[in-house]
Amino acid sequence: MKVVVVKPERCVGCLQCRFACAVEHSASGSPHAAPYEPVLSKPRIHIGLTKDKDTFPNKCRHCDPAPCEMACLPKAIFREPSTGMVLINPDRCINCGMCAMACPFGVVRYHVYANNKTAAHKCDQCIVRQKKGQEPACVEVCKVGALLFEDYNKVMDRDTDEISSLVYLGIRSKEQEKGPYQSLTAYKHRLEELRRKQS
Amino acid sequence: MSEYEKLSICKDAQLTLRKAHEDGVETVWDRLKKQEPQCGYCELGVSCRICVMGPCRIDPFGEGPQYGVCGADADIIVARNLARMIAAGAASHSDHGRDLVEVLHKIGEGSAPGYTIRDADKLKRVAAEYGIETAGLGNEDIARRLAEAIMEDYGMKKEQITLINRAPKQRRELWKKLKVIPRGIDRETSETMHRTHMGVDNEYVSILLHAVRNSLADGYGGSMIGTELSDIIFGTPKPGFSEVNLGVLKEDYVNILVHGHSPVVSEMVGLAVDDKEMIELAKSMGAKGINLAGLCCTGNEIMMRKKIPMAGNHLMTELTMVTGAVESMIVDYQCIMPSLGQVAQCYHTKMYTTSDKAKFPFMEHVEFTPANAREQAFRIVKESVENFRRRNKDKVYIPVAPVRNMTGFSVESIVGALGGTLTPLIDAIKAGKIKGAVGVVGCNNPKIKQDSGHVELIKRLIANDILVLTTGCVNVAAGKAGLQVPEAKDMAGPGLKEVCGLLNIPPSLHLGSCVDNSRIIVIACALANTLGVDIDKLPLAGAAPEWYSEKAATIAFYAMASGIFTVLGVMPPILGSKKVAELATSGLNDVFGACFAVEPDPVKAAQLITNHIMEKRKGLGLNA
Repeated sequence: MKVVVVKPERCVGCLQCRFACAVEHSASGSPHAAPYEPVLSKPRIHIGLTKDKDTFPNKCRHCDPAPCEMACLPKAIFREPSTGMVLINPDRCINCGMCAMACPFGVVRYHVYANNKTAAHKCDQCIVRQKKGQEPACVEVCKVGALLFEDYNKVMDRDTDEISSLVYLGIRSKEQEKGPYQSLTAYKHRLEELRRKQS
Repeated sequence: MSEYEKLSICKDAQLTLRKAHEDGVETVWDRLKKQEPQCGYCELGVSCRICVMGPCRIDPFGEGPQYGVCGADADIIVARNLARMIAAGAASHSDHGRDLVEVLHKIGEGSAPGYTIRDADKLKRVAAEYGIETAGLGNEDIARRLAEAIMEDYGMKKEQITLINRAPKQRRELWKKLKVIPRGIDRETSETMHRTHMGVDNEYVSILLHAVRNSLADGYGGSMIGTELSDIIFGTPKPGFSEVNLGVLKEDYVNILVHGHSPVVSEMVGLAVDDKEMIELAKSMGAKGINLAGLCCTGNEIMMRKKIPMAGNHLMTELTMVTGAVESMIVDYQCIMPSLGQVAQCYHTKMYTTSDKAKFPFMEHVEFTPANAREQAFRIVKESVENFRRRNKDKVYIPVAPVRNMTGFSVESIVGALGGTLTPLIDAIKAGKIKGAVGVVGCNNPKIKQDSGHVELIKRLIANDILVLTTGCVNVAAGKAGLQVPEAKDMAGPGLKEVCGLLNIPPSLHLGSCVDNSRIIVIACALANTLGVDIDKLPLAGAAPEWYSEKAATIAFYAMASGIFTVLGVMPPILGSKKVAELATSGLNDVFGACFAVEPDPVKAAQLITNHIMEKRKGLGLNA
């Protein structure tokens, strides 16, 4: 089954995924019109920040079994059988906060939906797009390859190959090949070190 | 519908796109696809790269940051970004104008061999506007004095730029009240950059009012000077016929293309290709002769004056080389895609850059100055002719036959055709034979099916008896669609058809390059002055259905500030601020008597414009 695989080391923190997510789940679906809707669509993917300012695109992992689903007493959280996605029925939600407490990733929020009801709010892995054969909006918009929509085992197979090459090339020499983004990350780390030293 | 038919309405584009893909050439459309979906923050105008406390962006969905690090909100960020766009557009046109001032000055000093004064009457007329006494002076002396007076327009010696006086009195008084009369051409651009630096102007209306002043410094300054001096140095265009589309390339000839915006280089190349020795050299290489054709606004400049054909507009520039029949492309500046050198590498085409301000990968730099232009032009043409030997004759593909296009409608030639005054045009408008006039201008943008916005809009406007004036990339679009020949009157409404028939002109008139939008402004001012009303009372409008460039944003701004309602086909990056968006699409009306509308559908745009013109006619007490 295809899932959204996160490659945090590739994330540049551009927040494009958040923008695309909000637009995708808006009433109009248009980037020009969505900011003008009466109830603003909220992004369902969050960019976590480490102490070193490294970014991690964090969203619902659609766990199986899902702790949020098990903690949801009114059964507002359920698994959609055809895609296996964990979804929320906002009409049943009683805003008790149990799903948020149970979620190991901290990706549940509470927001107003288009019908003006506040309810638990999280990624639905763009189930509407998936049914049309499209990949989730956050994946489509990610130009650096930090978000992939693939079978997990396939990604891991590829990673295994890459790691094998690294072993043979020597990890050290590979580390010395610094691309522009690695230089930026290194620079950010130095800045952060300096800030810690100064505080 | 084939994949290629979705990208362009032009047969030549569709067919060469297919060949481009067979040849493995990447085009502007492929690159757009790879960029999509494009950055939402940038599309809304709420990303800011002005300082390095940032980069910042405002979350339009209200959850994330609402202020940049400096404290700027969406209104400030959008206004600053828009103002900088307008400054860049004004800088481009004005720097182009400056190059002509330099040539004029050098002619005056006798140090620009090959260049001369081709319209001495116009030289005297413009000199008089600058208060220069011309009696008893030779052309060179007048040229030098005029150039020096114009240099002051670029600086800070004056309270206002000179040609702003062409605007009707009422308009100038309004501008004075709003404090938007430009003082110096470069000054306003420089001040925009200053105001938008962190911590200077942070009131969005104030920023945008200055952006208006900056745009007027282009429309009545840099661009207008560019047009007037080009006419003086290279001749004021007169009506005549030329041809458009890829079919203007000739299979048995050495084909040389000139691309960019400045006539300073292309005029000299024009001299060199007519040279007997060069033609003999071409014949010795097995060609029948040398064929010069234009692209983009350099093409418009030489088509207007010399009736040299045009191979295409913006989105055609890469595709010209796919014909395999182009020996060289000579570029000056603006709108030259950095990809062109890469495309040329797939064929035998030689690429030359000519301006010290515009260098590109995979192109050879041959610098042109007023002093050496003639010599350099001959050098490039000779090398281009010699390159004919490298052409792979089996791979030449010229997919279509050229289409006739009428051109050369300068203000002077329009007035001339009308018998010396604008009165016959005004009478035709009053009688309702011509309902009004619309400048359809601007670029191509791969986000819009190539030329579809231009052609459909023009067809609908002329069918409604509205006279169309084209410049820039629209000329080629309208020309290819057969809208710019006298016979196109049959596509016009009955009134416009009658007028076109009497004068033997097309219902869509080619006025020149994008700096020549100043010609449209001059006509609007003259109409207003003759009728004794302000421009915003006239049945006029502007449209940029497929715009892409910062220059187009500046043109739209000075048109609006002059009182001309302007419809854009592509959304400018302003929607991130509700206040700026509201101001642009309605609030400006209360200030300038004109505002913007955004409408990508040409059918709806035509309706908007027609309604606007009918309303203005009603305001003047004319029949709908």
